[in-house]
Amino acid sequence: MLLDQNRAWPERGSAVNHPTTARQLGLIRCHTCGKLAFDVGHDGYEEHCPRCHAHMHMRATNSLSRTWALLITAAILYVPANILPIMTVTYFGAGQPDTIMSGVILLLQVGSYPVAAVIFIASILVPVLKMVALLILLLSVQFKWVLDDRQRTRMYRAVELVGRWSMLDMFVIALLVALVNFGSIAQIVSGPGATAFGSVVVLTMLAATTFDARMIWDKEDTDG
Amino acid sequence: MGALTTTQTLSSIPDNWIACKDCDLLLERVETPVGDKALCPRCANPLYQPRDNSIEHTLALAITGLLLFLPANLLPVMSMDIVGQESSTTIYEGSLVLFQEGLYWTALLVFFASIVIPLCKLLLMLFISGCLYRERFSPLLPYAFRYYHYLDEWGMLEVYMLGVLVAVVKLKGMASVLPGIGLYCFIALLLVTTLMSSLLDEECFWTRIEHGLKGDPL
Repeated sequence: MLLDQNRAWPERGSAVNHPTTARQLGLIRCHTCGKLAFDVGHDGYEEHCPRCHAHMHMRATNSLSRTWALLITAAILYVPANILPIMTVTYFGAGQPDTIMSGVILLLQVGSYPVAAVIFIASILVPVLKMVALLILLLSVQFKWVLDDRQRTRMYRAVELVGRWSMLDMFVIALLVALVNFGSIAQIVSGPGATAFGSVVVLTMLAATTFDARMIWDKEDTDG
Repeated sequence: MGALTTTQTLSSIPDNWIACKDCDLLLERVETPVGDKALCPRCANPLYQPRDNSIEHTLALAITGLLLFLPANLLPVMSMDIVGQESSTTIYEGSLVLFQEGLYWTALLVFFASIVIPLCKLLLMLFISGCLYRERFSPLLPYAFRYYHYLDEWGMLEVYMLGVLVAVVKLKGMASVLPGIGLYCFIALLLVTTLMSSLLDEECFWTRIEHGLKGDPL
């Protein structure tokens, strides 16, 4: 009865006029395994999932404040990540410390456009867009902005999917410092910017995990 | 909001009910052909994707991955040559050198994302699909699969592979770089783990674990 309108869901985009959510029926979906269980009302959550024993919550606990905290920390660390050198390349005695951006510019000067593009996207574009996207999501949920919920969910999923690729520069540094170790002829040494940048990547990934996308839809569901 | 309260309508939750992860919409499960993704009609989130013989496939791939794991991590990934001096590196040495240079946090990050977590995922998958394949339902199964789920996004072999390519191009002007035997093992390991993730039918695994532990017929 209640679910009829949603039956034909392999055709995506079919109109869902009066959606029923799990919460409206007093059900909790386990965030880990997807099992549905009754909300027995211990402060909004059943203690453990009957299937996977994870803690169950109607919505992720303090999702907004936790995501804000992680995002702000990431934004602060993003400054040293871009100012401090991530590595120093010394080649026959000459060399200077490289930041993320100067590394990209160097690659452009050498003419390696594809690799410059890859590093620019993974290390500069993706982290910035990710933080902006999380900021929009947080603000829109916090201040109940009227935006397209589907678009916002899609944006959230993009943030979730793409975040890990920013680790690229960390791995490049690890490979280069281990490989280029020829004493006075050529040497690559890592710099403190790498630590800051690695932390930014981890913090934004954690922020994406703590953000509960169901909050995007909750407003619509409770209003009408 | 006009929602019916639990006590009025539901005494038990039907087995074929599911809720969308991202928008909480309550849905009735429908049969979808193997390999097809079922999407949420409201937010277009992928809900599940049935796979054929998921247990057998993931078990075979976990064993293959474990066999490839040591050579991929301990054999040289690439070597380079500057005026007669040769140097080579393994995946494991990368994080070791970072650690020696004092970047402990970065070293740990790289070590976990490229070695520890992929290894844990393979071991967990060997245990989980091994148990399900032999129909021995250990009470540890739900915990093992839960931790597999948590670790999933933190194993980053494919990002590491792109890192290898970028490193090669960066060194191009400096010296000649040669791929090592470890790189071929690493590529094979990457293919195996990617295939393992995509052939894993999470829903089927959870249902099997749940029914197996309750002692229900499958």
